[in-house]
Amino acid sequence: MATNRPVLCPNCGAQVRKTGYCSACYMHIGVLKKAYNTSDYYYNVGLDKAKARDLSGAIESLNMSLRYNKKNVMTRNLLGLIYYEMGELVMALSHWVMSVNYKGSDNLAVKYLKHLRQDQTQLDSVDQIAKKFNMALGYAESADYDLAIIQIKTILSANPHFVKGYLLLALLYIQVNNYEKARTTLRRVLKIDKANPLAIHYLHEMGDTDENIIQMRNESVENDGLFEDAYMEEVSVAEANSKPVSDGPIRRLFGAIEDRYRQMTIKTGEFGEMRFAHYSGIYVMVGLVLGILLLFFVVVPAQKRDLRKENVNLTKEYSEELAAKNAEIASLNEELLAKQGEIEDLQYGHDHADNPLPDYSDIEHGLSEDDINMIIQSE
Amino acid sequence: MIVFEEELKRFQPIPEVSQAEEAIYNNDLRDISDIITQVTAELKGAAMDAKLTGRVRR
Repeated sequence: MATNRPVLCPNCGAQVRKTGYCSACYMHIGVLKKAYNTSDYYYNVGLDKAKARDLSGAIESLNMSLRYNKKNVMTRNLLGLIYYEMGELVMALSHWVMSVNYKGSDNLAVKYLKHLRQDQTQLDSVDQIAKKFNMALGYAESADYDLAIIQIKTILSANPHFVKGYLLLALLYIQVNNYEKARTTLRRVLKIDKANPLAIHYLHEMGDTDENIIQMRNESVENDGLFEDAYMEEVSVAEANSKPVSDGPIRRLFGAIEDRYRQMTIKTGEFGEMRFAHYSGIYVMVGLVLGILLLFFVVVPAQKRDLRKENVNLTKEYSEELAAKNAEIASLNEELLAKQGEIEDLQYGHDHADNPLPDYSDIEHGLSEDDINMIIQSE
Repeated sequence: MIVFEEELKRFQPIPEVSQAEEAIYNNDLRDISDIITQVTAELKGAAMDAKLTGRVRR
């Protein structure tokens, strides 16, 4: 037997009359239901866009969802998460706080806020980022472009997901006619937010076609050299001890949007417990294999190449030395032959002489007076 | 054509953590139910006014 339970107004909680109007707020329940359905529809659109990493589009749809039902907790949570991913923590906080305000238990936002509260250093870091960004904005307004660029780079090195920072940096690079750097910066934006309208607008203004932009999204931003200059090296040394914001536990969770928001019902308690430890052994093995492959395909060939080069150089050096020695030997042989010829000539002359010279062989012992007289007489 | 000054106007200062409370209060936007409630209240007020005016005339 069906019980006639009173229908309560979802807006104020009062009893709804048989006419369909609330007895307290006079709202028609049909209108409210329609509004809530529309809100859910926009939430789903926003969710799809978030999954496709069109964060700007997702924000737009989720804001529309809130226009129909500002108490839509799922929308608030997802919106907060997207703002968090884009590096705007205060906006994320405001949505999560509102979410908890509307639904205090069995709510994902409670977990998010708990995580944030536990990580005081992250909050401090985010505060510093906000201050520095506002300072950089001031520099940009007063045409101190170099200072503004340096300031924003500092922010981005600490929080590499700060979309607003990248956009301002790109604008500054465009202003100083460094279009290559501007493109690199905007590519990073497109990696985080695939259809960021401002990034696309800037790229179009710089002459990039839609095909280029699509290609840019697929290009890697690893080692794109955006932060590689002398100043950034100093900054990275200075900030080596500070923990980057990107390491926060919630950042990792963005990747899990698909799993967490696949169903309308949220399973609280599972949040934040992504156990990567299960895979640590596999990671170590993969690391080792990659290391060995790197050794065989990069390090060993490079060493071989060096050795071969050294060998070639040595061979060349010794060949030159050998050639020089051979030439010297040849010249000495020639000299030897010439000397032998001379000796033969002299020998020949000696053998065929008509009047041989007197024998003075014993001259070294000295001659007596008799000997001298004998020589004189004989001659 | 990118006009730097015009583009710069798109960038608003981001709230610091100390300003979070203010951001939360500002975040309380109006949805359809708020608008309907307001319109209903206005209509109710107008009806009351008309009723009072009628009594006075009588």
